[in-house]
Amino acid sequence: MRAAALGSRALAFSLACCAAGSSAAQTSPGDGRAWLQRIYQATQSLSYTGTFVYQHDRRSEASRVTRMASAQGDVERLEALEGEPRDIVRSKDGVRCYLPRARTLKVDRHGVARRFPAMLPEQLTELLKHYTVRVGGPDRVAGRPCQSIALQPKDHYRYGYELCADEATGMLLRSITLNESDTPVEQFTFTQLEVGQVRPEAVEPQHATRSWRIEEASVRPADLGAQGWRVDTDLPGFHKIVEVVRVLGEREPVGQLVYSDGLAAVSVFIERAAGRQDSARRGAATVGGINIFVREVDDHIVTVVGEAPAASVRRIADRVRYERPQ
Amino acid sequence: MKTKISAFVDGELESQASSEVIDALEREIESRETWRIYHLISDALHDTALRAEGFSARFADRLAAEPTVLAPGRLPTERKRWVALSAAASMAAIALVGWLALAPAPGQRPEALPGVPLASAPPSGVAVQPASTQSLQPAARQAVALQREPAVSPVMAIPADVANDYLFAHQEFSPGMSLQGMAPFIRTVSGPVNAGVRR
Repeated sequence: MRAAALGSRALAFSLACCAAGSSAAQTSPGDGRAWLQRIYQATQSLSYTGTFVYQHDRRSEASRVTRMASAQGDVERLEALEGEPRDIVRSKDGVRCYLPRARTLKVDRHGVARRFPAMLPEQLTELLKHYTVRVGGPDRVAGRPCQSIALQPKDHYRYGYELCADEATGMLLRSITLNESDTPVEQFTFTQLEVGQVRPEAVEPQHATRSWRIEEASVRPADLGAQGWRVDTDLPGFHKIVEVVRVLGEREPVGQLVYSDGLAAVSVFIERAAGRQDSARRGAATVGGINIFVREVDDHIVTVVGEAPAASVRRIADRVRYERPQ
Repeated sequence: MKTKISAFVDGELESQASSEVIDALEREIESRETWRIYHLISDALHDTALRAEGFSARFADRLAAEPTVLAPGRLPTERKRWVALSAAASMAAIALVGWLALAPAPGQRPEALPGVPLASAPPSGVAVQPASTQSLQPAARQAVALQREPAVSPVMAIPADVANDYLFAHQEFSPGMSLQGMAPFIRTVSGPVNAGVRR
């Protein structure tokens, strides 16, 4: 018995050696880049259906995600499997969010958003300026062999990520967001995944929305600078990628500026304080990997939301100011 | 000797006598066996879980066979604990967003005082975790430090509906989506669940 135990230990040891050897051979930055591109390709082109678990703040929640690639345009659907039923469908026409209990349908026909933003080579180059990509060893998620890839931030202004991509298809099977002290703040993990043919019904929600309240979020390009808004952000690596005006819920139009380092994004929302019923004018909140910071600037409420450390979100929020146009 | 060993096990032997017993334990297998049995009896009396027969011998064998690990394990225990906690907590309804409304900065206009929580219709009964500063993420902890200005206790509420609108609007522009597909959208709608359950 003891001999057997020693034997299996020797086997484990030799396996560990092999794994170390192969990962050492795979740690060139080019491979990391190739893996990111492969994940992107898989996310954008495959048809699949699977169940994943989202964990954050000591909670976990299961959802089903389905994607149907077709010549008429790809359709994706996300269904919450726990708690209140929620159904989100994304297609070339935009995003629709069905909330049956609230009898509400939120529609976002992205006028400018489109499939935003594609992981283009130049964007990948931008990303690699701020993160070190390390290809790790083999792992297993949802019963499938996968390759672990770490995105380590080069500074403390952004979170780190530990990914595991399906060896067969490149699909992202697991994604862990790590904060400044390397502690996970949220995690997406597939527990089951089938890649291949998806029937059109699978991405078609069955809700009779006839008497529902429909909240249309019209999004249109805007020039908030011309209206006097300045965001002199000095957060290293974050550049403005979007500037729009949109409707949120049933409130007045809201200006939105999005800053990104190629991977993480932080949105700045600006709206008139007068249009808001609530009056919490300053505050901070955290939801998993998302931080929110709110402050008031010249009778406007500035809400900054992003998948970045609280200090980074705050830093952008602090740089929002208003200059009355001449 | 057995009486002495018994007293020794119970910690009732004086130091001189103790030395004798220790010597005996070192010398005689029989004394060691007595010592072991008395400990077993003591454990049984004190309702300690009984060890299986021969546990010590097997443990010693396996310990001797264990290879010396020269490289430290990579995974911090913190992560394992976190995952375990998440799994356990899935049963319990926990407030999703810890909201800290901060006291106005000195010099800010008085009408900017946070009077009402952010949620336009705060769901009644949506209690925020007690002792929230401890369980909150670093962001909130930082916020707690910030609000030391004029000391006002943080107003906490769940701005789930409001926060979700922002999250939803933010999400579609995040480049991370191009790697993760639809999954991050679940963030935008996980808010009202607990509110709904508890309402």
